Amino acid sequence: MNLTVMVGDMKTGAAGDTIVTHALGSCLGLVVYDPVLKIGGLLHAMLPLSSINPEKAQANPAMFVDTGVPLLFRALYEQGALKSRLQVKAAGCGAPMGRNEVFKIGERNYTVLKKLLWKNNILLAAEDVGGSQSRTLHFDLATGEVVVASNGTRKPL
Amino acid sequence: MRLDEITRSVDTLPAMGGAALRVLALIEDAQASAARIEKALREDPGVTANLLRLANSAYFGIPSRIGSLRQAVSLLGLRRVTQMVVAACAAAVLQRPVEGYDLPAGELWRHSLAVSVAAEGLVRELGIGAGEEIFTAALLHDVGKIVLGRFVSEEMARIEAALGRGLTFEEAETAALGVDHAAVGADLLARWALPADIVYAVRWHHDPDRAPASHPMLDVVHVANVLCRMIGIGLGREGLQTEPSETVTRRLGVGTGHLERVASRTLQWANELAQALAA
Repeated sequence: MNLTVMVGDMKTGAAGDTIVTHALGSCLGLVVYDPVLKIGGLLHAMLPLSSINPEKAQANPAMFVDTGVPLLFRALYEQGALKSRLQVKAAGCGAPMGRNEVFKIGERNYTVLKKLLWKNNILLAAEDVGGSQSRTLHFDLATGEVVVASNGTRKPL
Repeated sequence: MRLDEITRSVDTLPAMGGAALRVLALIEDAQASAARIEKALREDPGVTANLLRLANSAYFGIPSRIGSLRQAVSLLGLRRVTQMVVAACAAAVLQRPVEGYDLPAGELWRHSLAVSVAAEGLVRELGIGAGEEIFTAALLHDVGKIVLGRFVSEEMARIEAALGRGLTFEEAETAALGVDHAAVGADLLARWALPADIVYAVRWHHDPDRAPASHPMLDVVHVANVLCRMIGIGLGREGLQTEPSETVTRRLGVGTGHLERVASRTLQWANELAQALAA
């Protein structure tokens, strides 16, 4: 099945599925994969901390990095994934050009992700973060392969 | 430079529709009334239908069902209804796919609505005044892309080269085409006789530091536009290749927390408004 993850959304799948998410700007795109069970999931989180809008976080935890990341890992653990096997990759967290500090939402998304992973002893296997280009992620659940497409170029993550 | 060709293209673009022009003329008219808006829309039942679908969107906060133009005016006020007429008329143009910018059908419309919602959200969040027509200025800020898209597509190699030199996308437009989508949009809206502050905000929305004078409506549209692209609404080929002004963020007193709170509320409203007029 071809699954599409919208902004503030999370989906899991298994071999035979592909998961796509479009238009990553400052948002975090997080891919988690268990290569033995060939299951995985993709999160497209918009903002770093749920405390900015607790009501939204309750209705839609995938909107925030601090609630969305645990949501994705829990969903995979419930399907039998083992932490020791998980491959975790991150993309997005971009920023507009220039040095305006007010617009550093992408950097904040990345920082909150790194803190969460660090606290849980999880390392990023790969990342393609920062910059000003829009990114699309293609995640093939049969192989665990992730491709980042940006303005006509495609490269594996 | 393609400037002459672009100007000719603006000349030949059909206006938004007679209904919009007649109602727009009422925006600055103190004598405007529900009866006069009704008269202006009489020959355009499609616009009235779209207007009512928008008016019933939860964003505008009226819990009861609005079934007529008169009811819309009495519940939402003349000004809000006039904004919805403009939106209902602009939808047809803004819903098209936009080549060059890589925006599929509906995406420029969703982006436009998102910037309107984010702009009104910022005004509330910051507790500032930014002019009553901020919704319309935000909604129409990218209308120039409809004209410029074809030229951007044809000159993409030169635009890419300019981007490679570190220019913003709108600077790259000017380098390759002699004009950017903000200037083309302002030109278009001036011909459609939109109020001057709306035209001004559209003209300088990417370059507020070069505008002859500061204007809160311009400042808010500038910030709201960047914010909506950051959260992935209307990113397209431009991505985040734009530079938000530090003068503007200082002048507004806007911080990251304000932006994040507004962003958290914008996506859902924009999607709901876009769906209200979805085919």
